[in-house]
Amino acid sequence: MNARILFPLLLATFLALGISGCSKFKKKDAGAATGDYDFVSGSPLPERSGASFFAANVDRSMFPAVYFGYDSYSVEPGERGKVEQIASFLKGGGKSVIFAGFTDERGSPEYNRTLGERRAQALREELISMGASAADIQTVSFGEEMPADSGGGESAWAKNRRAEIGVIK
Amino acid sequence: MKLSHLLPAAAVILLGVVGAAPCVAQDAPVITVRKGDQIALAVGTLAGSDGVAVTPILQNDLSIAGWFGLVDAARAGYVVTGTAQGGSLQGTVADRNGGVVLSKTYAGGRAGAHAFADDIVNTLTGKKGIASSRVAFVGTRTGKKEIYLADYDGSNITQLTREGSISVGPNLSPDGRKLSYTGYQSGFADIYVIDIGSGRRVKAVSAPGTNTGGVFSSDGARMAVIISKDGNPELYITGAEGGGARRLTRSRGAEAGGSWSPDGSEIVFASDSGGAPQLYRVSSGGGAPRQISVGMGYATDPSWSPDGTKIAFTTRGSGGFEVAVHDLQSGQTRLLPSGGDAEDPVWGANSRHIIYAKGGALYLLDSINGRNLKVIDGVGRLSEPTWTR
Repeated sequence: MNARILFPLLLATFLALGISGCSKFKKKDAGAATGDYDFVSGSPLPERSGASFFAANVDRSMFPAVYFGYDSYSVEPGERGKVEQIASFLKGGGKSVIFAGFTDERGSPEYNRTLGERRAQALREELISMGASAADIQTVSFGEEMPADSGGGESAWAKNRRAEIGVIK
Repeated sequence: MKLSHLLPAAAVILLGVVGAAPCVAQDAPVITVRKGDQIALAVGTLAGSDGVAVTPILQNDLSIAGWFGLVDAARAGYVVTGTAQGGSLQGTVADRNGGVVLSKTYAGGRAGAHAFADDIVNTLTGKKGIASSRVAFVGTRTGKKEIYLADYDGSNITQLTREGSISVGPNLSPDGRKLSYTGYQSGFADIYVIDIGSGRRVKAVSAPGTNTGGVFSSDGARMAVIISKDGNPELYITGAEGGGARRLTRSRGAEAGGSWSPDGSEIVFASDSGGAPQLYRVSSGGGAPRQISVGMGYATDPSWSPDGTKIAFTTRGSGGFEVAVHDLQSGQTRLLPSGGDAEDPVWGANSRHIIYAKGGALYLLDSINGRNLKVIDGVGRLSEPTWTR
């Protein structure tokens, strides 16, 4: 590669970086960084089947909870084993589950309700990509309600950032 | 490739990136408390058999209002007098020359004192008062989360829901006639709307998944709602009792916490579609949302002021969660002196006061003079305030 070509190229990169880095925060409501709004949607949820997550006809002990990072809804590589167990259970159809999303107590209750739903739905999308039927998986979010560990501090919070799996009997 | 050409270029890139960083990290200034600009007002003890009981309510309202310096009659620009007895309050405000600027008869008791205070504010400042306003919130007194309603000063607390389930996320219509909340009695998160006057309740939004955040428009005719039925929590507009849901956002992240512009043309909401949650505004008619550059790495729970000029929100900084205000005209953001662990700010009718939750109680904060008062507590841990306008 020729340095005479490379230099202007790098200069242009710098200018682009410099401008985008600052303008986001300086320009008044400039409409910079609108997020990812090209996303059409995930897989639509099925109609509610009548079962609810804490009802007697839902088995919540068949699978361990899937845990998430702070403010994150990514299914972590360390949780893959749990996800594969659920995938092999759902493979072939005929089973119905409810994924319930939860958060730690930090942040506002309303934001946590939608973050919990996003976690339940991230797990759902993961399973759909592994062959589960979208029609077999419902979701609900309890946000920061019903913590698994009601203590404070990171060790408790880490247990509360979770999706629980309820199998409809 | 010649390294000697490449090195300066790399250095320039590094400088560019490092140079941009302070734009991200800058701290918003804490507001300075400003005294003066106050109207000197004298409020003596009201005459009549109920005068002694009603006077402190009126004085408290006028003190909280922030527009007045309460002084003795000799130094006052305006003098408040009145008679409270027999279930009514006759109130008068006169200027220093004795010219009557307000004279009116009100109901008795607390309601009359609040109405008189609001009329005094409106007559002398042209602003809307907050003394007659009401606040709804979540309380845990029964061991379950239920919705409660109170006067803005913490009196007259009444329990609105008795589900024994989880009832959270209350939102009052600005006129106080309707209240929406998120209830879990079905096992899922559904939005219910209560007619406060009649007690009638309807299940307004119960789509598959999670339905939450039913925030009324200024005229009470529409709700901004988060619905996840399409496979992701998204912002929708529905009618005042659900129905006719129209989707506004299409993002990969989680949308939360809508608040309407006063004219109903736009909604501000939080979304983490770009990473940490930030504020976006979108036309209520549809179209692409635009980020509001508040200059904070974390922003949730926006509340659009009734005068349209400001957005209050929760941010997360070195002091934990705090209340901040973004001015839409100047583009400036400032932290309010809420201290840490503060969340869910909501504007009052005067676009001056904010009520927010902190440590299980509700606080009233004057965004101009920084005065901070604990106003509502005592029914367990309180959260998620919503305020009539």
